Amino acid sequence: MATDPSIRFRNKCAIVGVGHSRLGRVPGASALDLQLEAIKNAIVDSGVKASEIDGLLCRGPQDVYCNHQLVGARLGVNARFSTGVDSGGASQTLSVAFAVMAIEAGMAETVVVGFGGDSWSATHASEEARLANDTHAGKRPKEFGIEFGFTGAVAAHALGAQRHMDLYGTTRDHFAEIALVCRENALRNPDAQMKKPLTRENYHAANMIAAPFGVFDCSLRSDGAGAVIITSTERARDLRQRPVMIKGFGSHNNTRGWFADDNMVHTAAGPSGAAAYRMAGLGPRDIDIAQIYDCFTYMVLTEIEDYGFCKKGEGGAFVASGALRRDGALPCNTAGGLLSEAHVDGMLHICEAARQLRGVYPPDRQVKDAEIALVSGHGGNQVCHATLILGNA
Amino acid sequence: MDNSRVTPKRPLPVPPPESLPFWQAAHQRRLTFPRCDACGKSWFPPANLCPHCLSDGFHWEEACGRGKVFSFVVVHRVYHGYFANKVPYTVAVVELDEGPRILSNIVGVDPQKVHCNMAVQVAFDEAGPDMTLPLFAPVEAVRKS
Ligand SMILES: [Zn+2]
Repeated sequence: MATDPSIRFRNKCAIVGVGHSRLGRVPGASALDLQLEAIKNAIVDSGVKASEIDGLLCRGPQDVYCNHQLVGARLGVNARFSTGVDSGGASQTLSVAFAVMAIEAGMAETVVVGFGGDSWSATHASEEARLANDTHAGKRPKEFGIEFGFTGAVAAHALGAQRHMDLYGTTRDHFAEIALVCRENALRNPDAQMKKPLTRENYHAANMIAAPFGVFDCSLRSDGAGAVIITSTERARDLRQRPVMIKGFGSHNNTRGWFADDNMVHTAAGPSGAAAYRMAGLGPRDIDIAQIYDCFTYMVLTEIEDYGFCKKGEGGAFVASGALRRDGALPCNTAGGLLSEAHVDGMLHICEAARQLRGVYPPDRQVKDAEIALVSGHGGNQVCHATLILGNA
Repeated sequence: MDNSRVTPKRPLPVPPPESLPFWQAAHQRRLTFPRCDACGKSWFPPANLCPHCLSDGFHWEEACGRGKVFSFVVVHRVYHGYFANKVPYTVAVVELDEGPRILSNIVGVDPQKVHCNMAVQVAFDEAGPDMTLPLFAPVEAVRKS
């Protein structure tokens, strides 16, 4: 049998620095400010010098042109490899994959992967700003959306949730469990945006936004940024932090569209995860913790099915068993996720996985014996996906 | 007082060139979709290349107007003033009998009663002097009216 060509990338590179910025409501700070704050924290954490950075895979808000170049200017470096990825919430996990490929291709040695956003400030500066954001106002042609009162990501994902409910008997109580897990984890995270406990009663009493989604099925609007520093495993051994090995990555994109085939319930996480498992030589049973892209509660439920943690259609029963809790079979979104920590386009999922694998959190935050983590990224009109499998050895 | 501020007009599509024939037909109360002259398959939303064989020869076929709900959501939040007195309303992906899936509203039925696979039929709604939107209603509701 031919060897899978992706195996050459297994354990070749490592995350050696992790940082994040102030999170939540940070009025007066631009997305770029916050991104530099996170990158600086990651650099200090890693012990590398800024002048050693020769790769930038840094993304900003959708309307910022060539964000990575602006990052380079503020870091004061010319980078051999510098660009941004355009896959929405899958961009950050995919950027880590590109960082490894660039390092292995000899195009860079030390790469920063970062994202900074200002989606709280951008939508709360004024009522006009909120409306413009909600309705995607702009000069480009648009159809099959606002004329039917269909706007933005909430309703699009809710279509998938509804179909899953109709096909498999999934209930809002299952979605509630996911919201509760994230909130409980956020309460242990002093930097998380959400500070108040959430009960099942609160969840069910909340206003509906686009049924089956209510307020607590939807992720946050956040200002904030995260960043990681990636270098070769060889070089990582000489640095300050315990290296977090990049064992596998994969991606898949249901680019035929969210409405096509049965992509709303069989997401791109399936083939993306399969590719990452192949590269890592691991499977779902080997995963100790998962940081799952949770733009909406339903996405966690369908992704854990697609990743093989349970069968398709059994996600409801799986989450109801308590599997995602800190003491469950698959502790999930251990810093609170997009639902309760902050929505920084999944960058903080990568940061949290790396920190858990270092194993140096205080006992109330550290998941015991976390050796292998899976990180997912999802976005790009609901169809782009990328997966990372990280390990502490 | 400026009435337009009280009840904003329904937001209308701003179609790209490849979709204009669809909207022009809809304004004449015909529901159409592209079908490939080379391979015979259909697609939606409109595009000038067949996604099945990349042929650029296609024609606009008139749909029978019937289909079923593929999935749906019930929108409660007001994102645009026009919908302020319409919430909660139903947005659905409708799979036409001919295959294409189209986004629209389900009207003429309590949103609580909509379900996946519900049989629906097009119900045109004139939204402006140059624009008619293809909405859908349950087949029974269309028969009664
Ligand atoms: Zn064709």
